[in-house]
Amino acid sequence: MLRGSHGPISFGVRFEKFRACHIIVVAVDPSGGEHLAYQLIMAKSAALEAVALPGDGEPWTGLARRNMASTQGAHDFDGATTNRGVSNRKRGNESLTEGHVPASMDPALQARARHELPTYDVWKSNHKSKLWVLAIMTMVVAMVVLAFVRPPARGGDGRPAGFQTQSAQRVSIGLKLAPANLDIRNQSGSSLDQVLIGNVYEGIVARDSNNKVVPALAKSWVVSNDALRYTFTMNTGMTFSNGDRLNAEDAAWSVNELVKRGYHDAQLLKHFESAKALDNSTLQIVLTAPYSDLLWVLTGRPGLVFDRHARYDMKTQAIGSGPYTVERFVPNSSLTLVANSRYRGPYRAKTASIVLHYYNDDNAAINALKSGDIQVLAPITQSLSGPFDRDSTNYDVKVGEGTDKFVLAMNCKGSKTSDVRIREAIRMAIDHKAIVASRGGVDRLMGGPIAPLDPGYEDLGARVSHTDVRRAAKLLKEAGYDRQNPLALRLEYANIYGTELGDQLRSQLREIGINLQVHVVEFSTWMQDVYTNKNYDLSLVDHNESHDFSQWADRGYYYNYDNPEVRNLYDQAMSATTEARKSELLQRAARVVSSDSPADWLFNYRITTVMRSGVSGFPINMNQALMPLWNVTFTHE
Amino acid sequence: MRFVLQRLALFVVTLLGVSVLVFAALRVLPGDMAQLMAGMNSTPGRVASIRKSMGLDRPVFEQYTGWLWGLMHGDFGMSMLTGRAIAATVKTRASVTFPLIALGLLAAMVIGLVFGYEATMSHRPAVRVMFHLLALVGGAIPALWGGLLLILLFSKGMGIIGLFPSQGFPASGWRQPVQALSSLALPALTVGIIDGATLMRYTRSALTELLSSDVIAMTMASGYTRRQAMVRVGFRLALPQLVSVTGLLFASMVTGVMVIENLFALPGIGYGLVTDLGNRDLIAVQSELFMLAAFFLFVGFIVDVIHRLLDPRMRHPEQEG
Amino acid sequence: MRKTRIVARSVWKTAEGRFSVVVLGIWIAVSLLSLVWTPCSLWSTDGYDTWASPSTRHWLGTDGTGADVFSWLMAGSRTDLVIAVLATMFSAALGFLLIGMTASRSNVFSNMSVVLIDALISIPTILIALVLAVPLGASVAVVVIACGIGHGLNLARVCRPQALLAARSGHAKSALSAGAGGRYVLLHHVLPNILPTLIVQLSLSAGTAVLAESGLTYLGVGVPSGVPSWGHSLATSVKFVDVFPITVIWPGLLVTVVVVALNMFGDCLRNAVDPVSNAMLRKNGAVGASEEGKSR
Repeated sequence: MLRGSHGPISFGVRFEKFRACHIIVVAVDPSGGEHLAYQLIMAKSAALEAVALPGDGEPWTGLARRNMASTQGAHDFDGATTNRGVSNRKRGNESLTEGHVPASMDPALQARARHELPTYDVWKSNHKSKLWVLAIMTMVVAMVVLAFVRPPARGGDGRPAGFQTQSAQRVSIGLKLAPANLDIRNQSGSSLDQVLIGNVYEGIVARDSNNKVVPALAKSWVVSNDALRYTFTMNTGMTFSNGDRLNAEDAAWSVNELVKRGYHDAQLLKHFESAKALDNSTLQIVLTAPYSDLLWVLTGRPGLVFDRHARYDMKTQAIGSGPYTVERFVPNSSLTLVANSRYRGPYRAKTASIVLHYYNDDNAAINALKSGDIQVLAPITQSLSGPFDRDSTNYDVKVGEGTDKFVLAMNCKGSKTSDVRIREAIRMAIDHKAIVASRGGVDRLMGGPIAPLDPGYEDLGARVSHTDVRRAAKLLKEAGYDRQNPLALRLEYANIYGTELGDQLRSQLREIGINLQVHVVEFSTWMQDVYTNKNYDLSLVDHNESHDFSQWADRGYYYNYDNPEVRNLYDQAMSATTEARKSELLQRAARVVSSDSPADWLFNYRITTVMRSGVSGFPINMNQALMPLWNVTFTHE
Repeated sequence: MRFVLQRLALFVVTLLGVSVLVFAALRVLPGDMAQLMAGMNSTPGRVASIRKSMGLDRPVFEQYTGWLWGLMHGDFGMSMLTGRAIAATVKTRASVTFPLIALGLLAAMVIGLVFGYEATMSHRPAVRVMFHLLALVGGAIPALWGGLLLILLFSKGMGIIGLFPSQGFPASGWRQPVQALSSLALPALTVGIIDGATLMRYTRSALTELLSSDVIAMTMASGYTRRQAMVRVGFRLALPQLVSVTGLLFASMVTGVMVIENLFALPGIGYGLVTDLGNRDLIAVQSELFMLAAFFLFVGFIVDVIHRLLDPRMRHPEQEG
Repeated sequence: MRKTRIVARSVWKTAEGRFSVVVLGIWIAVSLLSLVWTPCSLWSTDGYDTWASPSTRHWLGTDGTGADVFSWLMAGSRTDLVIAVLATMFSAALGFLLIGMTASRSNVFSNMSVVLIDALISIPTILIALVLAVPLGASVAVVVIACGIGHGLNLARVCRPQALLAARSGHAKSALSAGAGGRYVLLHHVLPNILPTLIVQLSLSAGTAVLAESGLTYLGVGVPSGVPSWGHSLATSVKFVDVFPITVIWPGLLVTVVVVALNMFGDCLRNAVDPVSNAMLRKNGAVGASEEGKSR
């Protein structure tokens, strides 16, 4: 506190040092010096109080504190001590020996305050300080902004890298899920398959838009009669984007490396014995047992051919043989593809450069489409596509088939869900049609584990198209629960699927006496609780894999589902030598699974894609798992 | 000098404490990085090998000291997911966040100082009341909502008056300065309005206090108008707090704009942190959290020191005994 | 008691005070009401009636699951009320603990509190929340603890000067020399002295807690899904602002009005308890004899 030891005289000395106000005092009232100086110091110590801005962006608390600095304490109400400046103002000089300054920030500060004023002060600059401060403030802001501004870079062809100026030379596509890195051998996630397979990396074989196997690096293949020997004839004259030649040796090396090092999806190559190059253009893969999914598996990651001589950081770069190369990758933001000038195959890129933008936020994506930053948006949430649907002169809205199955898994070994009656009741009580309607009405009812475009699909939708709350309640009652004595179940799912599904399920299951506690968690938490530890009642996942029936034949999978008949049928299907036989067996297996109700298949999610008019060649089916872009063009009207 | 040293020691000790806290918080979280990276349908062996390659199999204490050792040498580590240096990633993100803050602060100061001044000095009570209400309401708007309203008003595509791009940031960043700046316009304005309202309340009460003091009367008596007196003397008196307030406001904005960044899909520091947290990119998150905490502690330290330098009462006490 | 009445009356006398009291009253009333009644059940969804416009059945329309927005907002008010109250209590407890340490006669405690406050005050609430959310996940506790820590530290720093003054005052000294314990001094000299500041600060931190809830919930570290809150309503409608912009208006408006009311309430309370600005307090002699007279 500025009090006690300092008499009026010391204040006089102090006043002299406040040069900023020197003029005023001298000009006006030299004899009132003590008063003025006193007021000034008061103002300044009050100013000190005001600094108490909280560190967390709620500065008005600091403000309040500043206001409170002049508030009476209880002792003042008692009238015992006086520490108020306001009342002191009216007093004579003697009051200077009293406390008059609101308490300062901390004791140390107050201790310092007791010392004499220094001979130098910041108020020197007099009248110009206003401009001075303004200038500095402006400069600081300008500098910070300028520090990050660089002149526009010119692209290789001398054209400024346009952000809104679109030409047919460049097509921008909005996507949702971004890959964390480009390491397709190690990093999981279909977003990597989506952008890299068929565009940057090519497989021995590929898939068409109906999920059927077609030639790619191999132009043809022969399967031996015992279905153990696959002999591929490779195209000739192929190169990687770095100029290295691509031949059967690379293909054999890539497959062997995958198996040896256990790269991602290696487990899909079942009964694998060896892969070797018989000559430069012939690749042979030998199996220990028939495996009817082999060709399809080779369209995915296990069939990708890498350059065995190239050394590069696979997380940030990609050297493949496809029609495009990766020019720039900004994690979570964008990926720029440019046409591979060395590409000689049949799928030559029609557009020189394709930019993939990732939008976490649906609105940002839609705005980008509206403002012309992107020409294609896949997927768009169906209920948000209405405006585009109505504006058919400017936009095309297409709904494609996909293999996404929203699976409500019901832990077959869960303490309550192991009772098949409960699982049945849940399936019966769910109003699948209402759920589909709330999502925009384009998704497909499933009723079974196999999606269209996958072998063994048959429309089991009728099984779930009818909701029977009465029967469901009856079943549940048999299991010992009803609305008076509700069954508490926990639904845990990852937050990427939004909260709506959980809310709807809770509401629908309440009708029959199930008290559903919905826990929407981080994907990693789900992975830990449900997938790894299998500690759950209900779980919801969008299983977007294709040819994934093996899940139901795997006793160790998180479904905890085990039916020997299903396993047997699946094994038979995998060793079937014809597609028709395989489909038939899988179909039978799917029916068994569906009637066991280890899960409920809420719906088959169909992907809605919006394109600006003039875009053609963009894949509509399955474009979240496989998105060949070579055919994409955009022409202005 | 002693004060600075003491404060510095405190800074270092706190920093160390924060590092332990951040590290510990990230070790008890559910979810396994390696499992996440391996994805579903992966074999346990594969998960184990990923865990090993990321160093997650080492003893926790060893992981901590290794990390700390790196920090001390300016090595913030590599993201386990993207394989990029975290320092570089944060730098890229900062190139969005800091211009946004600078613009936001500029807007806040224009709004806060000018309106706050008018709110106090206007001769019409109606104007004063209006500005007062404006300040009250502005400070109470949730950032998320404020941003949405601005989008609904001024964004291209969906706003009533289409002026600025509503969300997103150009992929090529500042190489396209015009687009980059215009995409920061609405977020900066949101920040400006909300923090400006706070600054406005602050300006208003500071000016009110000044007005009631004799300083202004004195200045006016020596021939200035009230406005001149306010600007020339009042402003100068308020300068030290202004510097402190601005400094702290600037710092608090780094995370204060987190919601704004997420709403406007700007790839800034806050947006990145939330993304990394969702991806369970352990090393990235712990280094980023540490960097942020260090930044705030540092600003707090600097503001404390500067404040003492600016306050004449606080300087050179030793000399004068 | 008389003082309380005068303070209450002077709060009510101003337009701002009346507004804030009415709004806060409605808030509390609606929160209580929502425990027993909402126009529609929170858990009734209708897939065929999503994003409906306001109607007589759904006063503010429905959300993406067909649930009634008005009911969710009603129920959300109780969550926000709980968060505001808990966060305020937490910060009061922490703040008072730190103040107690500051004002204590032990140098160790006093210095420790100074160090603690100085060290941690510059860490923003949101950062604390993010660190907490890592192990805790999205939960009300994250909001409450983060706000509590942030405001508690701030509270302690704001009240520290006054607390110190009171603790070192002649009153306290004489009480001590008369044999009173430290706790007695804290409760009978320090606490009453900082009480007005404390009350205002707490009303402000309640407002900040409501704001923080909406922000943190949007970032996914606040209120978990399935728990109605204003932040939850805001965050879910944000996603669909493009197509259904009207739905987003209500929760934000609600938060704004309530926070304005809380801040106004703080302002009015401060004016009301301050004898300098509140003539009624002086006139009615609630402060005892006139201040001028006493201090002379």
